[in-house]
Amino acid sequence: MSESSFVYVTYIRTTPEKLWQALIDPEFTRKYWFQAWQESEWKPGASWRLMVPDGRVTDSGEVIEIEPHRRLVLSWRNEFKPELRAEGYSRLTYLLEPQGDTVKLTVMHEIDVPKAKFIEAVSNGWPHILASLKSLLETGASLEATRRWPKEKM
Amino acid sequence: MSKPKFVYVVYIQATPEKVWQALIDPEMTKDYWGRHRNTSDWKPGSAWRHENYDEPDDVAIVGTVVESNRPHRLVLTWKRPEGNDVSRVTFDVEAYKDSVRLTVTHEELTAEMLQAISAGWPAVLSSLKTMLETGASMPMTRQPWHVRAAVRN
Repeated sequence: MSESSFVYVTYIRTTPEKLWQALIDPEFTRKYWFQAWQESEWKPGASWRLMVPDGRVTDSGEVIEIEPHRRLVLSWRNEFKPELRAEGYSRLTYLLEPQGDTVKLTVMHEIDVPKAKFIEAVSNGWPHILASLKSLLETGASLEATRRWPKEKM
Repeated sequence: MSKPKFVYVVYIQATPEKVWQALIDPEMTKDYWGRHRNTSDWKPGSAWRHENYDEPDDVAIVGTVVESNRPHRLVLTWKRPEGNDVSRVTFDVEAYKDSVRLTVTHEELTAEMLQAISAGWPAVLSSLKTMLETGASMPMTRQPWHVRAAVRN
C-alpha cells in the first residue's frame, strides 16, 4: 500500500466499451474534464499527457498496464504546480467491472509520499470529473461547471 | 489513533431541496437505497430508523437526529439495533454552480463497519444521482442487499 491514496467508486449505467471510450477519447473527455484531453498511443510503455486548451501539459507519465475495457494503469505527475510536481510520479488505476446493467468504475490514485499534497488536490478533482462523466453517459449532458477550464486553476 | 472515517462526495444535477427530499422520502429511498426507508420527524433529538420498506419491523439501523438544517445539513447517529457501536453520518448538501455537491461523512467507525459501508455508500449514492438526473434509479439498488447477495451466490 502506498503512503497516500485516494479511492473512488461510482456505478454508471453504460457498457464497459462506452465507458472505456469516454475515459480516453479526446472529443469525449473535453466535455466532462474541463476541456482537457489526453495524448497517448495507449500501449504499455507509451508516453501519456493531459493537455488543456491553452496548449499546456498539466500532467504527464506513461502507460504502465492496459487491458481495453477492463483496466488502465498510468504513471502520473503534475507538471504545472511546482509543489505538486516536486512530489514526483503517482500511479493511477482505472478498473471497470460490469455489474448487472451498470459498470462499477474504481479510480485509485496513489503516491509514495506521506500526506501528499498531490493526493489532496486530486481528491477534490476526481469526484467532480467522475460525476460529470456519469451524467454525460447517462443523460447525454455533462455538468456545466466541468465544460470549461476554469480561470482559478491557472 | 482516531476511529476510521469514510467520506464520499458526489455532484448531482438537482437542487438542494430535491436532494434533501430524496434522503428522507420513503417513496424515493426505496428505489435507490435497497428497498429501505428512513422514518423520523427529523427534529433534533428525535429517533430515526432505517427499515425495510415492505416489512417495517425489519429494522437495519437506528439512531438519533443530532442536527437537522433543511436542506443543507443532516447529522445522524447510526447503529445496528442489536449492536453497541455508534457511528455518525453527516449529509452536507451545498449548491455548487449549476449542481449540488452532496458530501456524506461517516465517522467513528469500526474496521468492520468501514468495510461494509465503503461498499454500500458508493452504490446507494450513485443510484441516487441516477434517479434524480434520469427519473429512474439503478435496478440493483431497488431490492434489499441480502436478496442481492443471495442472487449473486
